[in-house]
Amino acid sequence: MTSTDDLIHSLASTAGTRQSASLQTAFTVTAAASLACALLLVFSVMGIRQDFADMAVRLPFAFKVVYSIALVMGASVVVLYAATPGASATASYAMVPAAIFLAGGVIFDPTGFPIMGTINNAVAICVGRILCLSLPAMIMTFIFMRKAAPTQPRLAGAVIGMLSAAVGALAYTLACRNDGTAFVAIWYALACAIMAAIGAIVGRRVLRW
Amino acid sequence: MTVEEREQRWTEAMRAERRGDAVAYERMLKEVATALRRSLVPRLARVRLGAHEAEDLVQEIIIGLRGKRHSWDPARPFLPWLHAITRYKLIDFTRQHRRDARRRVDLPFDDWLEITDPSADAANRSIWEVDRHLAVLPVGQRKVVRAIAVEGASVRSVAQKLATSEGVVRMTLHRATTRLLEAADATPAAETLSRNVHDKHR
Repeated sequence: MTSTDDLIHSLASTAGTRQSASLQTAFTVTAAASLACALLLVFSVMGIRQDFADMAVRLPFAFKVVYSIALVMGASVVVLYAATPGASATASYAMVPAAIFLAGGVIFDPTGFPIMGTINNAVAICVGRILCLSLPAMIMTFIFMRKAAPTQPRLAGAVIGMLSAAVGALAYTLACRNDGTAFVAIWYALACAIMAAIGAIVGRRVLRW
Repeated sequence: MTVEEREQRWTEAMRAERRGDAVAYERMLKEVATALRRSLVPRLARVRLGAHEAEDLVQEIIIGLRGKRHSWDPARPFLPWLHAITRYKLIDFTRQHRRDARRRVDLPFDDWLEITDPSADAANRSIWEVDRHLAVLPVGQRKVVRAIAVEGASVRSVAQKLATSEGVVRMTLHRATTRLLEAADATPAAETLSRNVHDKHR
């Protein structure tokens, strides 16, 4: 028992040392920076779509943006939940709006574009590009999570993956040339699912403390 | 100390730590360590890890608590935060130390709250005292009284268990309480118990 008491005594001596930033602040900075990185990649490497000014005011683009934002906001809430020990699990309801958009987009697609996209590899290209854009977000958010206290490492990794893909998708709306609502709903969600799976595997190793 | 008192006490200590009060924080960590030991030693014993390993785990949890203390939001309760960290460290620890563990360890929140409440000792003590008073009864009557008054079983379940009718159980209970009342003339404590039993199951 005494070695524990000694340990406690030395640990307690650092009482009062402040942390540099709160969890929420650190997260907001991380999310903003990761979105900025993704946007930078879109501008420099992928290029914004040619008909952007034309399509920006129409419904398909609006759906893409609102859907991506719903994914980002929902995943952000769940990431903060995963970063805090003992947080309330009702945070997972934050994903409901995105799920509604997903279901709605598939069922009520008003655009009539094909689900597999206009060109042969549309799905693979779209999903692949979102995955690339989400890599900086993944790295940065994992760095954030290591400073936090995730008590469910696999879940934390999965939601980090989901958030990263959502950020990538949001940036990608500027470059995506497939306007089918059902297309966007399904394949953007698939990108999130793939990143979630990768995140869970990575999280199990990287998030131990 | 009830769960609420413990929650209040430790929350105040965590706030004191943020103000720089190392003494209060150290006291709290020592209390937490004691509570952790009480709840974790039996759990680790179940997967055949001894007191030495339990102490290692307690130290790891304390280190984690202090390292991640900033992840606790003062506006939210403290015990769920503490529970989440304890459970995480417990599962991680047993996974590390028992790669061949076929039984998995867990720490549900209700069990956790129960163990941080030291009034469990008081409950055990009062049962022993009741047994002392019940010692005046013959075995059969004692069994019935203990099942109904102490363990709170219903007359029907006791009758089923002893393979008799409910009427027999009630009669036995009546005889037992009469005898307890006679014995109670000498000791006032037993009187309260037997009067309650008598009135409840009339």
